[in-house]
Formats: sequence, structure tokens, C-alpha cells
Amino acid sequence: MADKLLKFSHSPHVRAVRTTKQIMIHVCIALLPACVMGIVYFGLKALLLLAISLLSAVASEFVYELIVGKKICQIAKKFDFTSCVTGLLIGLSIGVQTPWYVPILASAFAIIVVKMIFGGTGKNLVNPAVTGRVFAFMSFTSLMASGWVAPSIGSLIGGASLNPTTGATTLTDIFTGGALPSLSNWDLLLGTGLSGCIGETCKVALIVGGIYLAVMGIINIIYPIIYIAVAGLFTVCLNGFDFNYFLPSILSGGLMLGAIFMATDYTTTPNTTLGNVIYFTLLGLVTAGLRQATGIEVVSFVILLMNLFVPLIDKFIINKPFGYNKPKKAKGVQ
Amino acid sequence: MSIRKGKPYPYGIHVKDMKELCAESPIIKMPAPKKVYISMSQHIGAPAIPVVNVGDKVTKRQLIGKESGMISANVFSSICGTVTAIEDIVTASGLKMKHVVIENDGRDEEIFFDNIADFEPKTIIERIRLAGIVGLGGAGFPTAVKLSPSTKLDTLVINGAECEPYLNCDYRLMIENTEDIYRGVKYAAMALGIKKIIIGIEANKPKAIEAFSKYDDIEVVVLKKQYPMGSEKHLIYCTTGKKVPCGKMPFDVGCCVQNIKTVIAIKHAIEDNKALSSTVLTVSGKGIKTPMNLRIQIGTPLEDIIEFCGGLVGETVKIISGGPMMGKGMIGTKSFTRKTNSGYLFLTKEETSLEEPTNCINCGVCAKNCPMRLMPMYIESYALNGDYANAEKYGAMNCIECGSCAYNCPAKRSLVQSISLAKNKIKEMKKNGR
Repeated sequence: MADKLLKFSHSPHVRAVRTTKQIMIHVCIALLPACVMGIVYFGLKALLLLAISLLSAVASEFVYELIVGKKICQIAKKFDFTSCVTGLLIGLSIGVQTPWYVPILASAFAIIVVKMIFGGTGKNLVNPAVTGRVFAFMSFTSLMASGWVAPSIGSLIGGASLNPTTGATTLTDIFTGGALPSLSNWDLLLGTGLSGCIGETCKVALIVGGIYLAVMGIINIIYPIIYIAVAGLFTVCLNGFDFNYFLPSILSGGLMLGAIFMATDYTTTPNTTLGNVIYFTLLGLVTAGLRQATGIEVVSFVILLMNLFVPLIDKFIINKPFGYNKPKKAKGVQ
Repeated sequence: MSIRKGKPYPYGIHVKDMKELCAESPIIKMPAPKKVYISMSQHIGAPAIPVVNVGDKVTKRQLIGKESGMISANVFSSICGTVTAIEDIVTASGLKMKHVVIENDGRDEEIFFDNIADFEPKTIIERIRLAGIVGLGGAGFPTAVKLSPSTKLDTLVINGAECEPYLNCDYRLMIENTEDIYRGVKYAAMALGIKKIIIGIEANKPKAIEAFSKYDDIEVVVLKKQYPMGSEKHLIYCTTGKKVPCGKMPFDVGCCVQNIKTVIAIKHAIEDNKALSSTVLTVSGKGIKTPMNLRIQIGTPLEDIIEFCGGLVGETVKIISGGPMMGKGMIGTKSFTRKTNSGYLFLTKEETSLEEPTNCINCGVCAKNCPMRLMPMYIESYALNGDYANAEKYGAMNCIECGSCAYNCPAKRSLVQSISLAKNKIKEMKKNGR
């Protein structure tokens, strides 16, 4: 016995098995249905874009770590799949018409500038994927916001040519013309015939991913529901309490992807239950309000904006300790 | 007679039980070792002062260390033999303590107290003080002091939760020594002048619940299997519904919490005139050949216990004194049984956690689980940055160091260690008047 060294540490000596790495792998798994549906709808170009953004995100992390002087085996050991999540999210939130270099730049910006420079996993102020997407959108607006391609199931199998359909997406229909979209809610839910970003068209796939995350205990499903419901209801309010707006508003644009996968990022959400409820409610209100005001899809901008309010929420909303009683005002005792 | 369910408490965690390793093995009396090393500070407060000299012949249950001051406790010899040394020993838990070393001479004699004169509270408390009884749940606070509160109490709560994984000693005692516990509880209640007695038992111990349901004057409260149910404040909340305010003690809400082993020691001191000289503990973990529950003489070296349990098997990477959630790690086997020991665990690599901490990902799991409703991530980061004033603002002093936060932390951060550091620094700052 004496010849073997024992490990010594502070309690607790037993721990649950879940690690950050496992959580991130679960998130990647939850994104898979959306990826698959994106590829089915938009063809091999979608697969290519997803692969490019995923690989460039991972490569960015390795390059950064190499530059700051870490050894390759160290980096591989420390690698926790957060950049995979970021890369996949960026790939899912761009349209299939986007040129190949855009996801590379977006991923590199997201990983290096937004995440690594601030200290790596968990230290970022804002969500890397959202910021990467906004960065790309601001830099390549004309490339990303036009030339939307309508999905067709046949595109993968038949290798049919992609027909660029110019024109507004459903969302723009609602908010500029005030008219309800021509597509049915079922089309919006399944993403059939709907043009949009690779991962944002098929809502069913996103919901399946969200349910997976909730079942695995990674996210609290209530929060995205709050976000989506508040956004939908506020849109209804803004349009003269016409409930026909509810489903189209929650089923179009990037709301599902944003609410389930981007807004729920641990690092950029408040730490308390009450804080989270406030945060997701505000997200819903601001999203619906800005959508109405601008007529464009604003989910990623709103998440980016609200991320900056998280420290503020965390400062003011803190748990009261068990047995807490309000400190009584001192009466002459000093 | 009356069994009721405890009040639900929404915070806290579920830990892997691991009690099955020796839950059904009865308590075995381990033979007295050849040599015992009896520590003079087995309790909170001033260490006892040795009253024997090297070369003295001592008898079992003879006073060898006398209490020094208000918060202190007597220490008794646990075997018959000769004092061979009185020295400072650095034990495997890293603390330097004065030990009296006694070599066994094989005599089978014992010293007893005189029969107790009457059952007045004062007499009972005096006997408990004389017998060197301290809180045997782990804290080691002198029981006599705890039983003489400044305010009038109304409820005596017996802690039968034993929420720590692996440990079974309280459970075994509850089903094997039910009558002793009952009598001890009655004496404790007599000393406090209390009628209402509650025993809180976790739902995973149906045999213990059944054992106590036969008494009319003890209320059995079945607690949900949840960690940390055995924490004083949470036990009081779940059994009586009272919240102990922050920074206050159970007696502020009229409650007194006693441990199972403590009440048995009270019974022995009063009825059998025995001073405290042995303890019951669980030796468990996958690193030990036969996990078992043992009655052990205080001062027994850990090496003897390992030998008695069949030696170590597999690769033990951690030896822990106490439970895995709150117990202290040890750097070796140079450890001697103390009054407050509740177990020794020999954990193999797959049982324990050896991951390196990574960055906090701000997931909030620690705050969600904290039974004291603190925000461990903030306290940790303030503590690591040396900002102890802010750590205190976030309630560091309320932490009970149960380990619920670190248990579920996906980044494997040493939250409890940092908070514990902050607590010590804050205490230091207060002592030095800021």
C-alpha cells in the first residue's frame, strides 16, 4: 500500500459523470435532424456548406491554440466540441446560396474573436454562433439576403439544378405587406416549398432536436417555449389580435433555431430560474417588436443584443439563501 | 406509532447510493488492537489535556484526557495497557494532533461510573459531559453544551437520514440497537425538558422505519431519498416545517438535532455507566475486500482495520475518512479512529472522480441544486480572485459544504474547495476586525 501514491483532493470525492464535452456532443446530436433535413431539402451544396463551417470552426480553435503556444496533443485532450456546435449552428443559419468562403470567415470570427480571445469555452460574452452569423450577414448582406432557394426534396436524389428564386421570404410577406403568407402552416412546419436557411426551414427537425435536449436534461424546454410563445403572442397583439398571425410568426424565419439552440447557450443565459424567465420573455418581446418594425428576420440580432443584458440580469436577480430574512433596518444599533 | 411523510424540499441532488456494498452486513465487533493512538482533540473546541504519563498502567474507559474549557470533551482509554508515548503525530488527514499511545496488555477490565443519582436534567447533562460525548455525526460538538441551550426548546429531532452514499453505520444501529436509541432519545429529551420527539429517516431504509414505528411517543418522519437530507437545517425543515434563519442555529427555532450514534452513547453513559470509548463505522468502497460495519475501539490504527477487512483489492486511488460527499481525503493510512469517524472508504478509479477542472460554462446547475440556494459559481470566482468581501456578499458563510454543486458540475470545478477557502478567509478577516 505504502508504495503507491494516493490521490488527495477536497470533497466531494464522487461526482456525476456528465462533462462539458458530453453536453456539447449531445447538442451536436440534437442538431443532426436539422442538418439531415437541410441536406434533403437543399442538396449536396448544403452538406458542403455545413462541412465547411464545421471544419473551419474546429480548425480555428486549433490554430488559435497553436498560436498561443499549446501542444497539439494538449489541445486535442482539451477539445470539448463547443466549436463543433458553433460551426454547425453557423452552417445551419446561412442560406444555401451563400458562397463557400462566407461560413469559413463566419466560423473563424466566431471562434477566434468571440470565443478564444475572451478565454475560450464559457468565457465568451455573446454567443459565438449568433455573432458569427451576424458578422457574416453584415459583411455579405447582398450575398446572404437575396437569391433564396426554395427547397425541393428531389434536389439531393435527382441532382436537379438549384433554381434561385428571388423575392421575399415568408416573413417579409407578413411584415411588409401585412398579408398572411401563401404557404400553409403545414408547409411552414415541415419546410416544404419554403425558402430559407439550411437549418431553419424544417421546424419539425428542430423541435425533435429540442425535445432530445430536454429529455437529456441539457436544456429546460420551458425557456424556448417561453421565447417562442411570447414572440408569437406579441406579434398577434401588434397585428390587432388576429390569431391567424400566431402560427406563421412562430413557424417562419429563424425563431425555432434561435430559441432552441442559440438562445439557450449556457454561457449567455442568466444563472437563475427567474432570470431566465425574464431573459426569454424579453427575447420574445424584442424579437416580435423588431420584426414588426423592420420587416426583416432579426432573431440573431436580438439574441446578440440580449446577450449583452445577461450580466445585468445576473447582477440583480440572485437567489435568496435558504432561511434568508430581510436585514432589518438597524434601530440605533451601530 | 405515527408515521408521516416529510415536507418536500425542492433543492438538493440525487446521488448514487452505493449503500448496497454492506447495508445488510451486521455490525461486527473488531477485536482490540495491539496498540491504540488516542487523539486529544476529537471534538470541536479546546483539545483535552492528557492526565496520564508515559509508563502509567491504564484500564479501559479510564480518563486519559481531561477537558479544558467550556467547549471541550473528556477522552478515555479504549483498551487496558500501558501508556508508551504522548506525542504529536501528523496524521494522514494532514493535521498535527497530540496522541496518547497505549500498548495493549490483554487484560479484560473496565472502569465504570457510579450509578446515576437521579434523572434531573442537570445530572443527566453532567453525566453526558463526564462521559466525553460529542456530536458523533461528524461535527464533534460537545453534546453537553448542545443539551444546555439558552432558550427553551420544543422539539428534539433525531437524524436518521444518513444521506451520504456508502455509509451504513446509522442504518445498522437503527435496526440492531433500536431499543438503545429509544432510551437514549428519552434521556436527551429529559435533559432538554422536551416532549415532542421526531426521528427523520430516509425512505430507502424501510426496516429502520418499521423498527421505530412501534414507539408511541416518537414520531417517525419518512424523508425523501435526497441529498443532503441529513443536513441539520434541511432535516428541521422537512420534519417540522421550520426554517432556520441564515447564520442562526437550530435552537433559534426551538429545535435540537441529535445523531443516532450520539443518543446511543448517551444511553450507555446513563444506564450502563460507560464512558465513550468505541464507535461504529462503515468500511466500504470497491478497494476493500470485505466491506463491513464495525464496532471499533477509539484509537485503532487504520492499518489494523484494513487487515481485519481482508486487505485492499484492486487499485485504491483515494482513501476517505467519512462519506464521499463531505468526508476528508487522506494522504496515507496513518490514521487512527476518532469518536466522530463514520466510515473509511477505499475508492477505486472508477468510483471516484479524478477529472481536471475546465472552464465554468455558466450552466447554472450548481445554483439550481444548491440546497442553501446560493450561487456557487460567483462565490467560487470571487474566492479565486481573492475578493472575499464579495464572496461573503453572495452568502459564502451560509454554505454547508455538502458538495451538491460540485457533484453535478459538468466542468468538474472544485467549487466546495474554493468556497471553503473563502469561508476561512472571511472568518480570518472578521477575527482581525477587517
